Amino acid sequence: MAIERTYYTIDPEGKIQCMKCHVPLIKGKAKFMYLDNGFPVELPVCPVCGFVYVPEELALGKVASVERALEDK
Amino acid sequence: MPEIQERGSTHVYKVNRISKEEMESMVARCVYEEPPSCNAACPLKLDTRAFLKAAAGGDFKKALQLYEKATPFPLILSMGCEAPCEAKCRLCERGDGIAVRAVEAAAARYGQASRLGSVFRTKKKKTVAVLGSGLFPLFLAGELEKKAYPTTVFCEQGDLEAFLRCETAFLDEEAFSLELKRLKGKDIQFVFGCTLDEDFFARQRETFDVLCASETVAKKLFPAAEADPALMILEAEKLVTGCGSGVMAAAFGAKKAALTVDRLAQNLDPRNMRGSEGATESRLYTDLSEASALRRVPPGQNGYTPEQAAEEAGRCIQCHCEECMKSCAYLQHYKKYPGLLSKEIYNNTQIIMGDHQLNKPMNACTLCGQCTVVCPNGFDMAHVCAVARRNMVSTDKMPLAPHEFALMDMLFSNADAFLSRPQPGRETCRYVFFPGCQASAIAPETVKAAYLDLCGRLDGGVALMLGCCGAICDWAGRFEMQESTREFLLTELSKLGDPVIIAGCPSCRKELAESIGGEIVGIWDILEQIGLPEGAKGMDRPAALHDSCGARGDAHTQETIRNLASRLGVKLVETEYSGDRSPCCGYGGLTAYANPEVAGEITRKALERTDAPYITYCMACRDRFAREGRESRHILELIYGTDAGAPPDISEKRCNRLNLKRELLWELWQEETAEMKLDYELTYTDEARRLMDSRMILTDDVIAVLNDYRENGEAVLDSETGMLIARRRLGNATFWVKFTEDEGRYTVHGAYSHRMNVVRREG
Repeated sequence: MAIERTYYTIDPEGKIQCMKCHVPLIKGKAKFMYLDNGFPVELPVCPVCGFVYVPEELALGKVASVERALEDK
Repeated sequence: MPEIQERGSTHVYKVNRISKEEMESMVARCVYEEPPSCNAACPLKLDTRAFLKAAAGGDFKKALQLYEKATPFPLILSMGCEAPCEAKCRLCERGDGIAVRAVEAAAARYGQASRLGSVFRTKKKKTVAVLGSGLFPLFLAGELEKKAYPTTVFCEQGDLEAFLRCETAFLDEEAFSLELKRLKGKDIQFVFGCTLDEDFFARQRETFDVLCASETVAKKLFPAAEADPALMILEAEKLVTGCGSGVMAAAFGAKKAALTVDRLAQNLDPRNMRGSEGATESRLYTDLSEASALRRVPPGQNGYTPEQAAEEAGRCIQCHCEECMKSCAYLQHYKKYPGLLSKEIYNNTQIIMGDHQLNKPMNACTLCGQCTVVCPNGFDMAHVCAVARRNMVSTDKMPLAPHEFALMDMLFSNADAFLSRPQPGRETCRYVFFPGCQASAIAPETVKAAYLDLCGRLDGGVALMLGCCGAICDWAGRFEMQESTREFLLTELSKLGDPVIIAGCPSCRKELAESIGGEIVGIWDILEQIGLPEGAKGMDRPAALHDSCGARGDAHTQETIRNLASRLGVKLVETEYSGDRSPCCGYGGLTAYANPEVAGEITRKALERTDAPYITYCMACRDRFAREGRESRHILELIYGTDAGAPPDISEKRCNRLNLKRELLWELWQEETAEMKLDYELTYTDEARRLMDSRMILTDDVIAVLNDYRENGEAVLDSETGMLIARRRLGNATFWVKFTEDEGRYTVHGAYSHRMNVVRREG
């Protein structure tokens, strides 16, 4: 079982809100999937509708570097 | 819009498209690793180039260390050797070769003798006896000491000085005393005053593991026996011995003999595993164009002073071949010569499980072929990278990410933006104008003007085909897409009556010639024949002509373009790298998509040639140069008096192609096409447009995200910035858009994307 990594870095807590459900996003369970690989992660998630938010820094940083690593496998 | 299937990462091998033998023969063309001529000519394999470099820097300690690797007695060798290196010095072709021997003597005098530790080294267990005196036993004892064999020399002389005097009459007193000191410092046992007869030999045979003797002693003991000059051994008698006369024969003979001793001590056949011995011929190429006729620094009576030796060594041009690396920013970026890079790229294609660390370099080559022209042996890096890419695609190991945007752009060119029509009023045509996808994207007005001109001045009708020639999928190594593109174009061409293709771009001309065949000419050929249209005008100041890599090896096209430039009245600035030697603009081989950083370096390197504006005959070159802020004009812009202006971003390029198609369809064929109109107001900040261009995000992607948001309301609000952030998965990527909403009007402030699919996880 892969180690569950947390990428929840919302500071201050509650600053990101779901527009549809009008509630703050909370730390929730999500999954990264790419090229036949899957990793359980923790990300900001809407507790009502389940919208998973990937912040720009995360997309261009860690997510991009994991993508490169998997592409070169 | 069709999609391209992402690969799976766990697929196994299918086809191997490049053989090891093919790669090895390719790698062998690169002479970078070849030794310089002086080094190759030395039987002792002195690294003359490194030695002279150290001496030139005044570092005689290092120089001597290098020299001591070649011989245990540097002064004896430097004063007695025939110096084959000097005869082979490439500077002899321009003036005096380097006085290597004199510099060696200086290094031996002024350098500190190596103290590499007899004390600290573990001695070998097998023992060796050397019988006799003279240069061969001296050098052999020195070589064996280097190999850490406990060595004992038995000689007739009464002391060490008398032993060293044998065959060293050419040494002056100073040199003699220095070498005597050196000999005393070595961990060699001496037994003086011996009678070297058969009884003595038989006794030592009992004591020592390996016996060696000078040629004189060996002849005395075994008069009939002949030594093998390659192994330095009397095989039947198991006696290692010298043969030949002179310092070099002794020094080289001792090297060979020491290796034979080494093999015998291990009970191994002395014939095997000897590696390369003796002088060889070097294939190293060296550009001597900047080496002028030079004279040696004359030595004083006692040889060189340290300053003179450094000056003489400093004349060495450090022979090496970097012809390709001088001109190619890609090779400069990876700091690897093509032989090595190719080996690594080949290995990259052979990995089944594990990291493909060479994917990036493999996809960063522009496949332009400049290296093949500048390399004295025609090394073809483009072929290596192109084959490697096809190999990776065929084995399902090629990631889609580096090329997906370009491939999708090609599919767009041959679908939504594709147009193929005979000249109005005709069913079939004698010609078809194929301007190329980049021309329509960057300079649509120029394409239109050129097409109208050709229609008006050529007999037999000129059809128009706006689309991609297939170079994109060829460069990406997607051979299956290349085949389907070929079939698609063949079908469309047959509908037009298989006309003669008038290519607007040299790369399209080359690609179509290879894939479609038939008669293909460049628009430049036609204009050369029918003359320039009215109003054609050159630039008011001198400009450099940038030759397209698509026209490399095509002297006819290069000349035709120059003729047209001359007719336009352009004053051309000559640059060193032009014609066949022209560098790539950075667009070729999809480098601009797969590795924008290297592509930028390539573009800037191409611009380094001159400060003048550039005239190009490929629209991608014009675009790359303009993006780097250099004034650049496609020759067709000058011919048709159009100005494509500032370079468009990636979304504008698509928009230009669609608009050109719609405009021409309406004006020439009276066909109306619906223009996609948004039913809401959408604007972008400048920063958003800049980010989207660098991140390869299209306005179409942003619109798709916003449409989705408008439909289902899914987004998050950043309460700190007041920004709404919505997302949508499109094909193989998820696009996120940062925007503000004001009564149904949207302003986009930023966008980003990732290929990773992110989903909610239950439990």
